[in-house]
Amino acid sequence: MSGYLAMTRTEFRLFRREPFSVVFVLAFPLMMMMLLAAVFGNNQADAHKIQNGLLVWRGVTPADYYAAASAAVIVAAIGLMTLPITLAGYRERGILRRFKASSVPPRALIAGQLTLALATSLAGTLVMAVVARLAYHTTLPKDALGVAVALLVGAVAFGAIGLLLATVIRTSRSAQGIGLLLFFSLWLVSGTAPPRAVLPTGLRDVGGALPLAHLVTAVQNPWLGFGWSGADLAALAAYAVVAGVPALWLFHGE
Amino acid sequence: MSVITVDHLRKTYRRLVAVDDVSFDVEPGEIFGILGPNGAGKTTTVECVQGLRRPDGGTIRVLGLDPTTQAAQLRQRIGSQLQDSALPGRLRVAEAVELFAAFARRPVDRDELLARWHLEEQRSKAFDSLSGGQRQRLFIALAFVNSPELVFLDELTQGLDPQARRETWDLIREIRHGGTTVVLVTHFMDEAEHLCDRVAVVDGGRLVALDSPQGLIDGLELPSVVRFSTAEPDLAWLEKLEEVESMTRRRDAVEIRGAGPVLALVASELVAHGIVPRDLRVDRPTVEDAFLALTGRAIRR
Repeated sequence: MSGYLAMTRTEFRLFRREPFSVVFVLAFPLMMMMLLAAVFGNNQADAHKIQNGLLVWRGVTPADYYAAASAAVIVAAIGLMTLPITLAGYRERGILRRFKASSVPPRALIAGQLTLALATSLAGTLVMAVVARLAYHTTLPKDALGVAVALLVGAVAFGAIGLLLATVIRTSRSAQGIGLLLFFSLWLVSGTAPPRAVLPTGLRDVGGALPLAHLVTAVQNPWLGFGWSGADLAALAAYAVVAGVPALWLFHGE
Repeated sequence: MSVITVDHLRKTYRRLVAVDDVSFDVEPGEIFGILGPNGAGKTTTVECVQGLRRPDGGTIRVLGLDPTTQAAQLRQRIGSQLQDSALPGRLRVAEAVELFAAFARRPVDRDELLARWHLEEQRSKAFDSLSGGQRQRLFIALAFVNSPELVFLDELTQGLDPQARRETWDLIREIRHGGTTVVLVTHFMDEAEHLCDRVAVVDGGRLVALDSPQGLIDGLELPSVVRFSTAEPDLAWLEKLEEVESMTRRRDAVEIRGAGPVLALVASELVAHGIVPRDLRVDRPTVEDAFLALTGRAIRR
């Protein structure tokens, strides 16, 4: 337990001192929320707009829609970028070996990283809700517990994906490239940039199966007062298992 | 009982045989050196012994444990300063010690540890901003954070300036006086000669010799070289001495190679002939000469 706490404290310190992760993980989703909400506005009239036979903004205003969706983006940024870049860098520089040789088990490192991911997501979401409220008079989360649970499940799922990436990608540099590519691809097709209703059917179906779209719905539903989304939480849990089991196995075997 | 027993260790990387049939024991309280050129299999050997790599053959016992199956237990009792490893760049010295101490079952006093390895002034410096010597000292300090019974030091003085090297040697000797067994991996001959009680010479993955540094030299009966200068034209009588193997002369400078007590015999003969050179000296064979004789080549520096 003391080991876990020490590792978590260490990872928090390092995260704080690493401007890249702070900028990307916290500033980017916030900036995009501001931008998209400014473009599409906060008019009740848009709430029931229909395109391709779908509600474009899920029955709420565009600003409400993006405030909740952008919280999910924070989790994806941590899982697809911060985590693989950090861990691949640790391996590349011999830090993992250093830890392993000194009774610092990989599971402590993983637990520390997950705790960091969750805490960052929660804090970032809080900031997101407050900023959106102040700037665009959006709805504050109606069911905070539901949002927190969605973020927790999302952090575990994206944590597992990030860990799997870290075991497959050998260097920190390629982790940056691959992480950015995956992040932006997901961001564009998951309803976090253009709403999914405006996407072509094929892209919409593919996007809908990917983890970020599930996380967006899982966060939006309790935030907007639609109740918990069991199906999306289950899909995220499935991603966590499918990515996490081989990732843990590979990570331990190194 | 031996602290380490290695029996017919073998490790291959694909087709490359890194370690081939290596056996040795390390006794409690000694400084045991593993000496060899780069790529000789030294690091692979100690990494197998520490349970960081899985051997392909042979058995290893460390403190009565099997490193392949009881690595976690073993690591609580050993300290390790790895070659080519690092810490997160923005982690500070005191934070690193704090982190590693949190995983130790019997952590040492952290301030004392920093003081002992002259790291107090660097406490709040980030790992990336440390000099090579400071990093090395931090790694050594971290190897001692769990009060180990046995420490592995892999190329510990690499990147240190001569003064820092000497200081590190003194600290290693001090550690041995505290009862900790030390396994020292090095390609520096003088380090092995000055520090080690026994040395395993490894070359091409094989153990080529195992003895005390002096034993290695004596066992090979390597010649000493006696040098002096004299204006005396005829020194043929010196060559008649049984211990003298060869004599070369360039003007006044004379160089005599010979085994055993060649210096004393040459000196007494010179005095008997009324020659008293002021610059009479002898170069005794070193571990480096022994290494050359054993492996047939110079070590890569």
